Amino acid sequence: MKPERPLLRLGEFLVRQACQRLPREVREERYREWAAELPAILHDPQVRPAPRRAVRMLAYAADTVRGTAMTPPVRGRHRATRVSAGLDLFLAVGLVLVAWDIWDIMRAPGHALNYLQLTWALLLVAYPLSILVRSAGRVTVLISISSPLAGVVVSLWNAAQAPGDWVNYLWAAFLFLCSLAIWLADRWARGGHPGSAGSQRVPG
Amino acid sequence: MTGPLERVLGALLADPAAPRYGYDLMKAAGLPSGTLYPLLARLEQQGLVVSAWETPQQEGQRPRKYYQLTAGGIQTARLELAQASARRQRAPARPGRPVPGSLG
Repeated sequence: MKPERPLLRLGEFLVRQACQRLPREVREERYREWAAELPAILHDPQVRPAPRRAVRMLAYAADTVRGTAMTPPVRGRHRATRVSAGLDLFLAVGLVLVAWDIWDIMRAPGHALNYLQLTWALLLVAYPLSILVRSAGRVTVLISISSPLAGVVVSLWNAAQAPGDWVNYLWAAFLFLCSLAIWLADRWARGGHPGSAGSQRVPG
Repeated sequence: MTGPLERVLGALLADPAAPRYGYDLMKAAGLPSGTLYPLLARLEQQGLVVSAWETPQQEGQRPRKYYQLTAGGIQTARLELAQASARRQRAPARPGRPVPGSLG
C-alpha cells in the first residue's frame, strides 16, 4: 500500500475535526472544499521532495483546526444573543425608570430627590447605550436617541426653574417618547438582531 | 486592515480576472489555511469575493472551490491597499515595532 492513502486519511480526519466546530449549514461544504485541496497539496509538483509535500499537507489540515478553533462556536453565538437581549432589557428598565422619575418630577417639581433619581436612571440608561455604541453602524442611532434625551434633561431643568409652566413637562414627555420611538423603530428595523447593521468596510 | 487581509487582497488583485483556489492563494499570500479561509469567508459575506466550484476534469477527482474578486471587490481592494500603503508611508518607523503588514 502506498503511504499516500493513510496520509490523506489523516488529513481528512483533521479537516473533519475542524469542520465539526463550524455551523451545521456550512460544515459539509467547507469539508468538501478543504478536503479537495489535500491530494492537490500532496501532488504539488512545485514542492520537493515528497516528504516535504506530506508535511505541508498535514500542516494545512492541522491549521484548519486552528482556524475554526479561533472562530466563535455556535454556542458562543447563542450566548451573544442572550447578552444582547439582556442589554435590551437593561435599557428598557432604565427607560421606564426615567419615565417614572419624570412623572414624579411633574407631580412634585420642588423635590430635589426626584432629580437625583432621574440622574441615576439616566446613568442606568447610559451603560447599555455605551455598550451598544461599540457595535458598528450604531452611532447614528445612538445620536438620534440621545439627542431627545438631552432635550428631556433641558426641559426638566426648565421645569425646575419654573415649576408652574406645564409646557416644560409636555416637552419633556414628548421628547422622551421620541427617543423611545426611535429606539423601538431601530429594533424593529433590525429585526431584533443587534449589530446586524454593520458597516461596509473591508473586514479585518 | 490587517496584514493577512492585505496579503490576500494583494494576491487576488495580482490577476483579478483569474479565479484562484485556496491552496493557490495560500502560496501566493504566504498564509496558513487557518488564517486564509476565515478571511475568504468574511470577504465573501461582504460581497467582495465570489466563489464557484470547478467541474472535475477526471473521474474521481474532487472539485475545488475557486475564489475571485467581484467588480466592487476589485475597487474596494485597490482603495484599501492604496490607503494602507499611504498609512505606512506616513507612519514613522519605530524601533522594535513590527512593520505593519508583516504579521501573519
